[in-house]
Amino acid sequence: MDYRNAFAISATGMQVEKTRLDVTAVNLANVHSTRGADGKLFRPLHVSVAEGKTEFAVGFEQLAGARLHGAQVLRIEETDAAPRQLYEPGNPDADDKGFVSMPGINQVTEMVNLSSALRAYEANVVAMNAAKTMALKALELGGAS
Amino acid sequence: MSIDALAFLPPLSMPTAPTGADAFGAAGAAAPSGQFGTWFGEQLSQVNQQLIGADQGVQQLAAGDVSNLHQVMINLEQAKISMQLVMQVRNHVLDAYRELMQMQM
Repeated sequence: MDYRNAFAISATGMQVEKTRLDVTAVNLANVHSTRGADGKLFRPLHVSVAEGKTEFAVGFEQLAGARLHGAQVLRIEETDAAPRQLYEPGNPDADDKGFVSMPGINQVTEMVNLSSALRAYEANVVAMNAAKTMALKALELGGAS
Repeated sequence: MSIDALAFLPPLSMPTAPTGADAFGAAGAAAPSGQFGTWFGEQLSQVNQQLIGADQGVQQLAAGDVSNLHQVMINLEQAKISMQLVMQVRNHVLDAYRELMQMQM
């Protein structure tokens, strides 16, 4: 039993959830940004997650035909959410009619993303702790009960 | 009778009994203890390397230079479990030694 594989698999999950949290934080921080870093309107980011490439199955698991992969962030892409139009004639970014384009970020969706990333991270921590408990239980074999 | 579900397992390889004069000659007094001692020393130095690595991770964390927090914690846990594994091996070896010492002649 190689407990390090369970650790590594959970670590990939934690990395993915951490990235999702970061990206959600970026979206929330830019909810009122009228311009992105490139001068155009900021577009909300979205994380694409896919199964990882690294193979974690060893020994018995490999013989049994198990293909154990972690998760990985495939890419962070910009979504094509329609911008919100806000009437702000005084804003330097306003158009002829006085409307300013705000990024199409839905704060409720971002908060739900935040919660789900947090819970998924916790689930990964629980899985890793379970693997640790199992390894420590195996060390109790043959010891004085 | 063959059980399909177990067919993927490799065939059992039984240890072959030592034969001839070299069975007890070569595996006499010095060789086995030296082998186990070497192996144990290697394992111990590996665990030590893990502990040093985990320690460096904690130092970097304290210095504010950390890429991901969970990797530091996972390294710590791995080092801890490896240390406990080494301690259990030591306990079992000591148990066996005491068992031998208490043997009635």
